[in-house]
Amino acid sequence: MTTAARPGFDPAIPAAKNMQGSPTPLSVLGPRADAERQRIRQQFEAGTGARETLRALCELADHNIQQIFDDLLRVHNREPQGLCLLALGGYGRRMLFPYSDLDILFLFGSERAEQESRPLISEFSRTLWDLGFRVSSAGRTLEECKRIEEDNAEFHLALLDRRFLAGDSGLFEKLDTKVLPASEKQARPFLLAQLHRLTRERLTRYGNTIFHLEANVKESPGGMRDYQATVWLRQILDEKKEIRKVTLAEEELSAAAVDFLSAIRCFLHYSNGRNDNTLTYELQAAAAERALGVGDGISRNAAEWMRLYFRHARTLNRQLLRYLEQKSPVPLTLRQRLLNAARASRVEPDHGNYFMVRDGLLEVVDQPAFSDRAVTYSLFAEAARTGTPLSREAERSIGYILTHPELPPRNTEMPWSILHEILGSDYPGVALRPMQRLGLLTQILPEFGMIDSLVVRDFYHRYTVDEHSLRTIEHLQELADPPDTRGTHFVPLWKTVERRDLLILSLLLHDVGKGMPAENHITGSLAALDSAARRLKLSPEEKAEVQFLIEHHLDMSATVQRRDIFDPATVSAFAQSVVTQERMQRLCLLTYADIHSVNPEALTPWKAEMLWQLFVATSNHFSRTLDRDRLHALDEVSLLERVKALASVAGTEEIERFLEGFPRRYLAVHSAAEIAAHFALYQKLSADPVQTELIATRHAFSLTLLAADRPALFATIAGVLAGWGMNIIKADAFANAAGVVLDTFHFADLHRTLELNPSEIERFRKSLADVVMGKAPLEPLLKSRESASRARTPKVAVETRINFDDTSSAHSTLMEIITQDHPGLLYEIGSALARLGCNIEVALIDTEGQKAIDVFYLTAQGKKLTAQKQELLREVLQGTLV
Amino acid sequence: MMKIEAVIQPSRFESVKDALREIGIEGMTVTEVRGHGRQKGHTEVYRGREYTVDLLPKIKLEMVLPDALVNRAVDTILKAAKTGKIGDGKIFLSKVEEAIRIRNEERGENAL
Repeated sequence: MTTAARPGFDPAIPAAKNMQGSPTPLSVLGPRADAERQRIRQQFEAGTGARETLRALCELADHNIQQIFDDLLRVHNREPQGLCLLALGGYGRRMLFPYSDLDILFLFGSERAEQESRPLISEFSRTLWDLGFRVSSAGRTLEECKRIEEDNAEFHLALLDRRFLAGDSGLFEKLDTKVLPASEKQARPFLLAQLHRLTRERLTRYGNTIFHLEANVKESPGGMRDYQATVWLRQILDEKKEIRKVTLAEEELSAAAVDFLSAIRCFLHYSNGRNDNTLTYELQAAAAERALGVGDGISRNAAEWMRLYFRHARTLNRQLLRYLEQKSPVPLTLRQRLLNAARASRVEPDHGNYFMVRDGLLEVVDQPAFSDRAVTYSLFAEAARTGTPLSREAERSIGYILTHPELPPRNTEMPWSILHEILGSDYPGVALRPMQRLGLLTQILPEFGMIDSLVVRDFYHRYTVDEHSLRTIEHLQELADPPDTRGTHFVPLWKTVERRDLLILSLLLHDVGKGMPAENHITGSLAALDSAARRLKLSPEEKAEVQFLIEHHLDMSATVQRRDIFDPATVSAFAQSVVTQERMQRLCLLTYADIHSVNPEALTPWKAEMLWQLFVATSNHFSRTLDRDRLHALDEVSLLERVKALASVAGTEEIERFLEGFPRRYLAVHSAAEIAAHFALYQKLSADPVQTELIATRHAFSLTLLAADRPALFATIAGVLAGWGMNIIKADAFANAAGVVLDTFHFADLHRTLELNPSEIERFRKSLADVVMGKAPLEPLLKSRESASRARTPKVAVETRINFDDTSSAHSTLMEIITQDHPGLLYEIGSALARLGCNIEVALIDTEGQKAIDVFYLTAQGKKLTAQKQELLREVLQGTLV
Repeated sequence: MMKIEAVIQPSRFESVKDALREIGIEGMTVTEVRGHGRQKGHTEVYRGREYTVDLLPKIKLEMVLPDALVNRAVDTILKAAKTGKIGDGKIFLSKVEEAIRIRNEERGENAL
């Protein structure tokens, strides 16, 4: 027997007594409903809007429900008293999509009414099913509706959209005007907390981004659920008047977004023949072809149409997040409050009272002041520095200023100095994310606009290209406190990486070429860098570094996946291509972030481990092969020419003499301009045998010293710095073939002596030259510092470890020392080496928090250290450093 | 039907996959695994910390093939995965009693 031929109720169920007549048979209702459904679909496909379609589908359901219900009352010879039907959820809101469930509530006046209604309800539900409606029903007595079901927040939320369908209207009135308003008022905190929880869980499930390549238009962030959650939040919060009214323009945007997404959802249901809301690649193309939701009938390519989708999704998502932020339903913990207080920190006096921190978020205080972009940029710099996000309200205020020209903008151009500060901070993503939402990022870096909401169909990436790029940056800043073990190894790399700004700029630009017609996206990205570097006025060295990272951004992952990373030849070849340790560190972080941001599963612990192993092996390769690879000046023709031009000298012979025999690393870590400056110092050596250059950098000072090699030179310089209270962070010591030593020390001025007393700079240089020349003794300088520096107890205890390695270098013995950092440490080590007759060929000094990590290439009388000498050295140093 | 499990060097994976594709084998399960065989692991020291690498990264391929294809597949894997060094991996063969395609309940070699 076919469904259509069956009567509207199941004869197997015993009918109630006193039945009167028969219900309208399914053979009549079924074809009628099908025909109506068909008509609605045809009209939708002919261009009728989603709103009308949803309304028509809703009316169809309403009509059938009312007819079947009335029929059954008649057949069962019942009055409707004590029973009524309510539409809930989307159906209650009259937003019924073609294959959506009908959420229906059977409301009973009493338990007895419930008992009596059971046969009728089961027939009713079955008939609706047979007519092709998917019924999702619940039953409650009026009394039950007064209670809060703590494990069923979804039901209470659906009740907010209740609508009378059929039956006892008096019963509905009672529920609608008496029972629910009272219980809803009481349940408000519960509903709010649950709605927050459910929404956060849903957003997290979808990676907290709207930018999915195949979005779910119902559940994904920016989908219809976002809109619905916003409406519920407004309903629940309505009486509290805490929310600034939504502007008319925002209402219009939101309505347009709902229409657009509704059209897609109808289209998806019709195309899939079921309640499937995934906007797949195939359906994106089909929707773009018919200009779905746009209404102009002009076919577009899928990428262009998806940009429209993301624009609408962004509207709905932004609105939801703003409401979610209005009131935190859970009181802040003490830890969070303390954290917020710490984050509040200082507001620079020159920022006046333009912004402040409240509840852990940056808020705009003086909105008109933000027409001066310098103020806006300082707010973003603060966000990047402290990791304090902007509140949605702050973002909205800035958005208003940016789009309303009543207040003419000032200082619109963001100089590289500010952008560099934001990109180089600990939390660049915290600033870049709202800058992108507000369109500021593309104003500063128009190249980034080429990948705005760009879908690239490769079945591997899950997010749009711009989202992927921003995620790379967020994954790196997460390393401050990594959420899982995959990042553990990379934490120290992120904390100590140099020129973080260039790394972040590379990440912003690395995939920009995907939005360009270039065949290879890297070529496109490099072209984008050209224009960005010109506009931002990057120095040639800065540009070259970003260029390298973009050009090679796939190399490290290719090496990890396609080469045997345990083969020394692979490591050596990779080391040669990256040239320096510093650059490799940036490339490693870039690779980590790039893989991590493809999709949540792309960076498996296995891949993270392989990447780390390649980093470690290459890093060790760098520090163990340093003096093997010496510079031969004659091979460096182009460098010689560049230095010659910069140093304004006639010939290159003198430059050749200067460069001959330096370790190749010298070239890798210094630019041509720096080498020219070193050469200028070298030329003055004959007049003054100790040449120094002191430069103040952002966080430290950099001292370059040139002198003919002499015993204990390195230790002496380290001693003078310690005597002046300077803490050495990093140092390089190189010697050329003629025995000229070039030492570079980066040190922190712990007591701000040089910063606060500029006149001391000259005295410091003189003191240094005098001690190095032997004109002044070192001991008095050191004595004055000794007691103060030794008195401090270190916060973290680092065990001293000394390793010797005779195999890595052909000429020297490598000594690696890991020990507790303290002022004067390098002097202690250097003095011990000098006392034992060890010559430092190369030194690499580094610090990581409280830990000093020093590598020395040592010789004694021109040869490697003997085993006895190594033992002696170990003993002496262990005794000195404990 | 036989099941082939091959544990190979990650760096040989692409070549093995391409070689198998050439003889018409495209369906396989690939797992990232760590192996611990006779190939000795080693310890790397980075900034004073030791990192033990005694479980070396490997790729495991699994495929179930009709008997007629097994020998060719094994030869292909051998050729493509071999570097001649310790740590090239291993191939395991086992008999498969039955294969069933869940979608339409097809059985035997038809289900492969």
